[in-house]
Amino acid sequence: MSADLEFENLVKLYYGDLYRFGFSLTGSEADAADLTQETFYIWANKGHQLQKAASVKAWLFTTLYREFLKTCRRRNRFSNESIEERSEDLSNVPANCAERIDSRTLLRILGEIAEDFRAPVVLYYMEDLSYKEIADVLGLPLGTVQSRIARAKIQLLRRLGETNLQVEQAK
Amino acid sequence: MNTRDAKQILLLYRGAIDDSDPQFRAALDYAKSDPDLSEWLREQTKCYDTIRTTLRGIEPPLGLPEKIVRKRPIPFPRDWSRIGQLAAAILISATVTALLVKWSDHRHPPIVGPQEILVTGEVLDLTCYIADNLSGPDHAKCARDCIRSGLPAGIKTPDGKVYLLTGGPGRSINAEVADYAAKTVTIKGKQTIRDGFAQLQVEEIRKL
Repeated sequence: MSADLEFENLVKLYYGDLYRFGFSLTGSEADAADLTQETFYIWANKGHQLQKAASVKAWLFTTLYREFLKTCRRRNRFSNESIEERSEDLSNVPANCAERIDSRTLLRILGEIAEDFRAPVVLYYMEDLSYKEIADVLGLPLGTVQSRIARAKIQLLRRLGETNLQVEQAK
Repeated sequence: MNTRDAKQILLLYRGAIDDSDPQFRAALDYAKSDPDLSEWLREQTKCYDTIRTTLRGIEPPLGLPEKIVRKRPIPFPRDWSRIGQLAAAILISATVTALLVKWSDHRHPPIVGPQEILVTGEVLDLTCYIADNLSGPDHAKCARDCIRSGLPAGIKTPDGKVYLLTGGPGRSINAEVADYAAKTVTIKGKQTIRDGFAQLQVEEIRKL
């Protein structure tokens, strides 16, 4: 298969997933498209260094995440609310959420979660990756990933619960 | 395990994706015996599905893949294994060339001279001298005949150094030196040396 065709097929296969991941991280269509584009261009230049064809998807996600972190560093956007390290009280976590969630609301709430926690929880929800795979993509220990997902999820569900309550009260 | 511990573990449970993950097994078994936990888990899983569906429902902008493909950079081909092979080939080639040059210099040292000198000694028929060590007055006639017939002539100094006598490019010296065979003469000429073998290009012969 020619390099051009291989590149096109790769784009077709993964651009949607990468864009969604980028959008969930940045909350911006333009930034997500830029990140997706940049990820594939990095692949075009460095992808041949990848030994295992099976790990292409993980490589692309890792690359997009690193590019996202670079962008964050450049923009110095570390104003997100941090998630405390203490053990969470699960009794306050809503057990359910609305049947349908507005994607804009969901992305807004995700954007309020610290970057370090946002990427694990987005991969947790969006991709069929095992925890080990999520840890590999983000370059973090397995325990750290699981702990961040758990805390970010609790944060997310609480915010969603509060939002649902506000919507119901408004009705 | 108690309900709190099971909840803590099952908070990460996503349904079918995690069914094969052993870390959830005990907590899932526990949930079967606890109706409240079981109900909480059902709601959590449902909520997971809702959030997942929402996130996966995000549509990329139209034309994004085409734009990515169209603006694809042309990669500089850096095949490191091939670059390595090329570097090794260049290194080997340079080493072999250097060794060959050294070996060639050793085998074919450059010609020394030409240097104009005077040599005094006996005129030899080199063929008989080298083959049978024949020289001197007893061998004079044979030497003269051999030189006249075109066999190489030489001159041997008293210290034993032998020169091949030549007449320069395209000119035979044999007719001139044949009459001096086995006699001692002084020859003025240009000396050249190759491979340790000395040649004297005759310019002038003086009989002593």
